[in-house]
Amino acid sequence: MSAVGSSNPEYVVARVRARRGSLYGDEEYRKLTRMGPAEIARFMEESSYGREINALGSRHGGVDLIEYALNRNLAQQFEGILEWSEGRLYDQIARYLRKFDAWNVKTVIRGVYTDADQSDVEVDLIRAGEFDDRLIRRLLEADSIDGVVEVLEDTIYGPPLREAYAEYEETDVLVPLENAVDRAFYERLLSGLGNDEPTRQYEAFLKAEVDFRNATNALRLARSGADIDPAAYFIEGGELFTRGSLARLARNLDELVEYIADSQYAEQLGPALRELEEADSLIAFEHATDAALLAYGDRLGTIHPVSVTPVISYILAKEREVENIRAIARGKEAGLSADEIESELVIT
Amino acid sequence: MLEATNALGNAVLSTGGTLTDPNAAAALAVGLAALGAGYAERGIGSAAVGAMAEDEDLFVNGLILTVLPETIVILALVVVFIVG
Repeated sequence: MSAVGSSNPEYVVARVRARRGSLYGDEEYRKLTRMGPAEIARFMEESSYGREINALGSRHGGVDLIEYALNRNLAQQFEGILEWSEGRLYDQIARYLRKFDAWNVKTVIRGVYTDADQSDVEVDLIRAGEFDDRLIRRLLEADSIDGVVEVLEDTIYGPPLREAYAEYEETDVLVPLENAVDRAFYERLLSGLGNDEPTRQYEAFLKAEVDFRNATNALRLARSGADIDPAAYFIEGGELFTRGSLARLARNLDELVEYIADSQYAEQLGPALRELEEADSLIAFEHATDAALLAYGDRLGTIHPVSVTPVISYILAKEREVENIRAIARGKEAGLSADEIESELVIT
Repeated sequence: MLEATNALGNAVLSTGGTLTDPNAAAALAVGLAALGAGYAERGIGSAAVGAMAEDEDLFVNGLILTVLPETIVILALVVVFIVG
């Protein structure tokens, strides 16, 4: 970094914006919903997914090919972003992308727990986070959960996992381990962010995400009526809930819905909440939270042109695209009609 | 960066008293304008390189936008002719 400050954000933002322009739009989605899996793969081959489809085409086919190509492309794009960025920008982006590390750790632990084949676990990993290939290889080669914990010793997941391991040994369920991973991720997500304007916006976005995650979890718990302590699933850092209020609200669905309807997210989530009351379906609510986050990300991307926010906005849009294509492909495989699939997509 | 320019201005003002030589003042004007142009080009340049890395067709656009702040220096050059 030079004395006048780094011009690295400009570089990263320009590249990311160029990539954003090549994401699929309404038109492409409409075409995709009318195609079969093979045609979707073909369509992807001709767009920005060409390299991945070609690389994986000989080994996989059908919907699996689409799914693996999507995962690999996502990983490559995000790894690229981390590679280009430096210093503070790197730190801010890595915070968010560490969620893929958390996902990978959980996948590996589950794989070891169920004695899954190493190559089966490997295709499910999304190498978009901070872990490098060597660490992931060592993770995959670990043949016991103790081994996994040991490999992760030097990462942020090491100490919490070690603690949770004792509990796992007693009870033989994975929940404490998975909670430990999630908590390590969310603790890192919000601690020690800077205090300038774009960073504050970024923080607000992260908090909204935590809030929505808490709200979804609470709604699920309230609806299932299961006798689980809601406080155990509480994620720190949000603004909407505290540990106590979440535990109380998760016992009563009506109260919970009312609480969310009165919160600062009322505007974005209102219609979905009404639908939740009428149709008793959580899917609409989950889509509404996704759409609200995406819309928020879009807005963020234009307020502060040279900061972390356009990058995050792209990351969100890309994730969404991957999920949408996956939904289309899986929907086609299950024989859903084009209209039904379209209702599953989240497009802003 | 901006602090440095301020410090430079202060130093010029405090050591030399008032700047009475017109030629020196004109030279200073051109120099400072060039400094500003350089600062502007630094951000545009790295963004242009980023955009070009994604799409090579943007080379011409990137080049034009990168050198656009250079006009400030040309305008500052006018001062030299007016004064000199």
